[in-house]
Amino acid sequence: MTDATTDDAMRIITDYLLAKQPGLTAIDPELDLIENRILDSLGFVNFLYVLEEQTGREIRMEDVTTEDFRTLTAIRKRFFA
Amino acid sequence: MTILEHTAELEQALARLVAMSERDYYDPYTLFDWPASLPDDAYWMSPELMSVHGTKVGARLTEPQLRALSKWESINFYSLNVEGIRELITEVMMRIHTADFAVSSEYLHRMIGEENEHMWFFAKFCLDYGGKIYPDKSLRLPVADQSPLAAHFLVFARLLLFEEIVDYFNKPMGTDDRLHPTIQRINAIHHQDESRHVAFGRQVVALLHRRLREQASAEELAQLETYLKRYLRASVDGLVNPAAFRDAGIPDPYQARTEVLADEAFHEAERKMLKRSMAFLVSEGVFADDRMPRS
Repeated sequence: MTDATTDDAMRIITDYLLAKQPGLTAIDPELDLIENRILDSLGFVNFLYVLEEQTGREIRMEDVTTEDFRTLTAIRKRFFA
Repeated sequence: MTILEHTAELEQALARLVAMSERDYYDPYTLFDWPASLPDDAYWMSPELMSVHGTKVGARLTEPQLRALSKWESINFYSLNVEGIRELITEVMMRIHTADFAVSSEYLHRMIGEENEHMWFFAKFCLDYGGKIYPDKSLRLPVADQSPLAAHFLVFARLLLFEEIVDYFNKPMGTDDRLHPTIQRINAIHHQDESRHVAFGRQVVALLHRRLREQASAEELAQLETYLKRYLRASVDGLVNPAAFRDAGIPDPYQARTEVLADEAFHEAERKMLKRSMAFLVSEGVFADDRMPRS
């Protein structure tokens, strides 16, 4: 995946998270998404499908940990590197 | 004071449910006929209960595609049952014979036993006819601090809502002659057992919420309502699985899912699915209204 394609994918992922948080207009790449309740258990599966669509592959839960979803930077590194 | 108090009313209700459970007892391991295969060109799920029913995505699918999707959506539905029952049994196990739930232990033994059997036949169906159980995609992330009473309430409320959603499918599919007799049978049997579990769940949820109203602030009660509505949202959305679309050979499965979740026909079906639960929760004061958050 090229840097430009990854940037587009990350923008879609960020926009999805922002759409669920009416009080937010931007998300710092280092912001703790879990601590700040931007990502929680009840919203996780729908988020995962957005991520799978952007990466183009199914994500096996046995291959990931909470830390892989902690920040936008972590998501980029884990799923688009 | 224990969480679930001994009252004559509750004890009588539990004794009645135990008696019904013993009356309806069956051996699941010998009850069903398991043919070597089920016909691929038939509906495996009532078409009206499929996620795409009445939607623009559904209108674009051919009859063979719809039939293929009915197979994989039924495997998804039973997979969700397997995952949901695992959570149910785990949570109930943690409470049985504790001081707080002692009054219900005799009944809970029946419930755990029945749920274990349900998990067995749903898993067998998925593995024998789908070759897999769709994996659970959820991730347990930390939740905000809750009082023990609120935590107990949420466990039993989630279980009740899960059972009521499942029963919305089981009841009609148990008597739908368009479906293979094995499919009808597992749905009918599950409906029979779940009727008792729903009766218990409603009693416990109402009792626990009455206690919560005495102790919790208006803000905490509103947070519980928001949480449960989001739980319903996630449960209903979970019926639309891109992996089922993919297995049915439908192109752009993620796009198809997004379209279904945005389709008013899907949300109309959801209102019907949740009507009974919503009416109960509003009448008990658990919900202030029946408005659901969007997907």
